[in-house]
Amino acid sequence: MSSSTVMIVDDEEIIVGAIRSFLELETNHRVLSFTSPAAALEALERDPVHMIVADFMMPEMDGVAFLTKARERRPEATRVLLTGYADKQNAIRAINQAGLYHYLEKPWDNEALKMIIRNGVERSTLFMDLERSLAELAEANHELTEFRERLIQAFL
Amino acid sequence: MSVGSQLIDQSHLATLGTLVAGVAHELNTPLGAIDSNHDVIRRALMKLEEILEDEVVTPDELEDVRRIVKAMDGVLRTNGIAVDRMVKLVDSLGTFGRPDRAEVDRVDVHEGLEGTLAVLGAELKEMHVVREYGDLPAVECFPNRVNQVFMNLVHNAAQAMEPGGSLTIRTSTEGNGVQIEFRDTGKGIDPDDLAHIFRPGFTTKGRRVGMGLGLAISRQIVDHHGGRISAESTPGEGTTFRVWFPLRLPAEAREQGGSHETV
Repeated sequence: MSSSTVMIVDDEEIIVGAIRSFLELETNHRVLSFTSPAAALEALERDPVHMIVADFMMPEMDGVAFLTKARERRPEATRVLLTGYADKQNAIRAINQAGLYHYLEKPWDNEALKMIIRNGVERSTLFMDLERSLAELAEANHELTEFRERLIQAFL
Repeated sequence: MSVGSQLIDQSHLATLGTLVAGVAHELNTPLGAIDSNHDVIRRALMKLEEILEDEVVTPDELEDVRRIVKAMDGVLRTNGIAVDRMVKLVDSLGTFGRPDRAEVDRVDVHEGLEGTLAVLGAELKEMHVVREYGDLPAVECFPNRVNQVFMNLVHNAAQAMEPGGSLTIRTSTEGNGVQIEFRDTGKGIDPDDLAHIFRPGFTTKGRRVGMGLGLAISRQIVDHHGGRISAESTPGEGTTFRVWFPLRLPAEAREQGGSHETV
């Protein structure tokens, strides 16, 4: 699990910086951080990501819209919303609509953040494993079908 | 000394209240970053102490030290930006000398209530807020002042309650005005104290800066609007504050422009 990737998106450079420092100290995750949701979406096209933590109130695109778009690109990534206290109610409504994993209130508790990220990474790793197993199963099934066809052909 | 002269300029205080709320909001982001960084430094120090404990640094530990240095570098940079922003905020407060004169407006009381609840959101997160809103006509008032009253009453309710308590805000039309009721399930007010709660300087909250003026200011604001404010309380069960505002602001209140200095 040491090579898992965590993406942080907040228009506030200092929030991104603080979370990055914490994760660098306390975890082995690769940290991708962005102050622009659009740039973060571009990066998602290139890189698989286990975990995405995004701020709710961003001028360019709100966190829920961003995380909804992020799911289209990386359905396996666990998505968490970071909210200020004043927009908590709106955020919770949006969280339910967008089917997010969790939300974290600012100012956040690092221990809680660590726990959420640990569980979230585990969740998406399991998800990715499951996807891979399913793909392998489909492949095996395909091979089996082909083999059967050939077998039938051989006896005809 | 008269009540009025003790209360200084109520408009100043009302604006100050709004301002403080805004500043609190502005400070939230840099403080959040610094708060987290403080925790990161604490953790880093603990890791370093652990590494140094046996006076031998293994290659693995050396890797940890590099990681700590990198994290500390980020902490310094982030804190620099955060502190800079707070310094700028304090600077801009320094230029705030003259409070804006609040204007009379016809407003939706519920908007004021919701705004107040939003600003005090952090304080309210461990209690339930129940809204029993009636159909209210617009109320002519000084909105900032009225919100200041709401803020004082909601703040007091939050202070009086343990986590899990509930504040019910009920609004209704009463006569030619509107009534807003704030019912909390807090510790209540002693009957001996209840008679004094609207007196300037009276507080049951212990020594704290700025305490003991909230309800006195609230009463002054309500009086100025030609309204009424009252409280009833059962110790151990809770307190209910009722505020009534007339739909139309009395002519003399309008002329005073909301910034008179005496009751």
